[in-house]
Amino acid sequence: MHIAKMAMFTAGIITATSAALAAGQTKPAYQGRTPQDVYRVTCGYCHGHNVGPLILGRKLPAATIQTMVRAGRGAMPAFRPTEITNAELAALGLWIEKSKANAKEHGQ
Amino acid sequence: MSAPTGTGVSRRDVIRAGAAGAAFLSTAAIASPLDGARMMPPGVDSDRFAAAVKELRAVVGADWVFANAESTLPYLSTFTPDPDGKHLPSGAVAPASVEEVQAVLKVANTYGLPLWPVSTGKNMGYGNATPATSGQMVLDLKRMNKIIEVDAELGTALVEPGVTYQDLHDYLQANNLPYWVDVPTVGPIVSPLGNTLERGVGYTPYGDHFFMQCGMEVVLADGTVVRTGMGSVKNSTTWQAFKWGYGPYIDGLFTQSNFGVVTKLGMWLMPAPPVYKPFMVRHMEMADVSKIVDAIRPFRMNNLIPNCVLMMGAAYQLAMFKRRADIWTETRSVPDEAIKAEAVKNGLGMWNTYFALYGTDEIIAAIEPIIRSAFEATGGEVLTEKEMAGNPWFEHHKTLMRGGMSLEEVGIVRWRGPGGGMVCFAPVAPAKGAETAEQTKLAKEILGKYNFDYNAAFAVGSRELHHLIFLLFDKDDAAEERKAQACMEEMVLRFGEKGWAAYRTGVSTMDLVANQYGEANRMLNKRLKAALDPNGVIAPGKSGITL
Ligand SMILES: Cc1cc2nc3c(=O)[nH]c(=O)nc-3n(C[C@H](O)[C@H](O)[C@H](O)COP(=O)(O)OP(=O)(O)OC[C@H]3O[C@@H](n4cnc5c(N)ncnc54)[C@H](O)[C@@H]3O)c2cc1C
Repeated sequence: MHIAKMAMFTAGIITATSAALAAGQTKPAYQGRTPQDVYRVTCGYCHGHNVGPLILGRKLPAATIQTMVRAGRGAMPAFRPTEITNAELAALGLWIEKSKANAKEHGQ
Repeated sequence: MSAPTGTGVSRRDVIRAGAAGAAFLSTAAIASPLDGARMMPPGVDSDRFAAAVKELRAVVGADWVFANAESTLPYLSTFTPDPDGKHLPSGAVAPASVEEVQAVLKVANTYGLPLWPVSTGKNMGYGNATPATSGQMVLDLKRMNKIIEVDAELGTALVEPGVTYQDLHDYLQANNLPYWVDVPTVGPIVSPLGNTLERGVGYTPYGDHFFMQCGMEVVLADGTVVRTGMGSVKNSTTWQAFKWGYGPYIDGLFTQSNFGVVTKLGMWLMPAPPVYKPFMVRHMEMADVSKIVDAIRPFRMNNLIPNCVLMMGAAYQLAMFKRRADIWTETRSVPDEAIKAEAVKNGLGMWNTYFALYGTDEIIAAIEPIIRSAFEATGGEVLTEKEMAGNPWFEHHKTLMRGGMSLEEVGIVRWRGPGGGMVCFAPVAPAKGAETAEQTKLAKEILGKYNFDYNAAFAVGSRELHHLIFLLFDKDDAAEERKAQACMEEMVLRFGEKGWAAYRTGVSTMDLVANQYGEANRMLNKRLKAALDPNGVIAPGKSGITL
C-alpha cells in the first residue's frame, strides 16, 4: 500500500491540483481533431475490438465510410456533424481508406 | 411499412439509400421534410416551416440547421422499432450557447414548432435521437460541449450537454486528477447530462447517476434561465456541493420530462480508491436467479457491496461477441440448453454476477470472506482475476466497474441479423428472489410467443432491480420489426397487470407506460406542462406528457 495514496483516499486530500480549474478551460473539442483522435474515441471501440468488422487496411472507399457514419447500420448508430464535423469525416474517410492493418486489432 | 404521405419514401428507404451510397442522396428521389407532410410538425405547413427554418438559420448559422432529407438522415437512425413511421423528425437545429437556445425557443414559440432536445442523442434502445411524435425538430445540444469546471478538492464537475463520458475521462487523466467517472456501459459516445436526465445507471459505487447529480441550469420555454439548488444564490460557492438548496426540490422535474431544456449539469466524481478488486459469481441454472437476488440484497442494503451489481444472463453476454446463427438456427427462441452449452464453452454460467470491492487491501480482506461465503452457500462459484483474467466478459465488467470506456455491449444489437434492432424494456423488480424469478418467467413466456430470445440482465440498486430486457430483432426484416413492437407492447401491458412498471421507456411506448402510473399523475404532469410550456414546444409526448 502506498502511504500517499492511502492518505488521499481516506482524507480526500488531493495534492496534484489544489484549486478549482478555471471555467471553460477545455480544448475546443471537435474542432480539427485528427483522424487518429476520432478513431480512438469512437470507431476503435467496436472496429478491431470484437464488435464491428475490421476497417483498417481494407482499402474501404472514403465515400463508403462517410455514408456509413452518417446513416448508421446494424449495431452502429449514426454520427452527426455535431459529433464528427464534415471536415473531420472527410479526413477520417481518407485516412481509413489509406490505412494499414493494425496487428493489435482483433475481430471479425 | 407504410410510406409517408405524398412522398412514397419511407424511413427504411431513406436509411437504405444512405447505406447504399452517398450519390443516391443527392438525387431528388428522396423526400425533403418540406414536401413530406408526414414528417412535418402537426399544424405547421411547408411555408411556415420554411419561415421558421430561415429564422433558425439566422440564430445558429446555416450550417447548423438540418432541414432536408440528406442532412436529417443521421437523426432518423434508431435501433428501436418504428414500423409505421411515428417517430420521424422534421429536421434538427444545433445551438452553441445558452443564448442561442433561448433564441431557438423563441422561434419555436412563434411558429408552434415542437423541439425534441437531445444532448448526445445516443439513447440507444430507447429511440436514439428520434422524437416521441413525428414532425418534431431535434434540438441537438452536442455543440455545447464544455467541461465548465472540475473542482479538484470537492471532486465535482459541471458540464454542458455535449460532453461525453470519454471527454470527462480524458480530462481527468490529462489533468492528473484522482477521480473516476461512473459510466453506463456505452460511455465513449454518450453524455453524463443526457444519461442523468434519463436517470440512467452505471456500475461503480456512484452508479445511480441522478443521486450523484448536484445542481442544474435549465432554460424554460419562455427563455427564463433557472439554476437549481444553490446555483441561484448570488456568489454561491456550493452549487455542486449541496443538492437540495432551499424550498421545493425541483431538479427531478427536469428528468424524464419536457418542462425545460437543461444546459448545465453538476455531478459528483468518485475518489479513485487505492485498491479495486472485481468479482464474478457464476451460477449454472436459470432458476438460480432467485437465490442470487436474495444473497445480494443484504449486501446492497448495508453497502458491503458498494456498487450497482450486474447479474448478466448468459444469452445477453453471448450476444456481445457472437451472433444468434452461431448458436441456433431454428426460428423459435433459443432454448436454455443451447445457451448453456455455449456459455460453458466460454467460461460463463447462466447467470454471471459482477460486483467489486473498493478501498484498501485491509478493507477488502475483511469484507471478501463474508461475501464469498454467502454466495458459495447459493451454489455459486466466486471468481476473481486469478481464475478469469483474459476472459473477454470478465475483462469487460472489470473495465465497467472502474468507470472505464467500452462499447463492447453494442454488439448485441446485431444478434439476429445485419440490420440490427433493439428495444429495451426495463421494469423495476423488488430485490426479492421469488418475484424476480416470476418476472424472468413472464418475460420468457411473452418473448417465446414471438420467437424472440431472452437476452436480459438485472442491475441491482439497493432495494430494487432494474430488469433490463433487451428485445433483439432485425430491422432488415419488416415483419420482424412490426412483431418487435407488438411484443414490446405486450410486455409493458402484462408486466403492468402485475404491478411491475418500467423505470424509463423508449419513444414507442411512452404513452403506454405513462398510463400505468395513473390518471392523477398524468394530470399533474399536464398541469405543470401547461404552466411551464403553454405552447407545448418542448418535446411533446416525452414520458407521455402533452398539453
Ligand atoms: C448495449 C447498450 C447498453 C446500454 N447500457 C446502458 C447502461 O448501462 N446504463 C444506462 O443508463 N443506459 C444504457 N444504455 C442506454 C443509452 O444508450 C444510455 O442511457 C445513454 O446514456 C443515453 O443517451 P445519451 O446519453 O446520448 O442521452 P440523450 O439521447 O442525449 O438524451 C436522452 C433523453 O433525455 C432527454 N434530454 C437529453 N438532453 C436534454 C436536455 N439538455 N434538456 C432536456 N431534455 C434532455 C431527451 O428526452 C432525450 O431523448 C445502453 C444502450 C445500449 C445499446
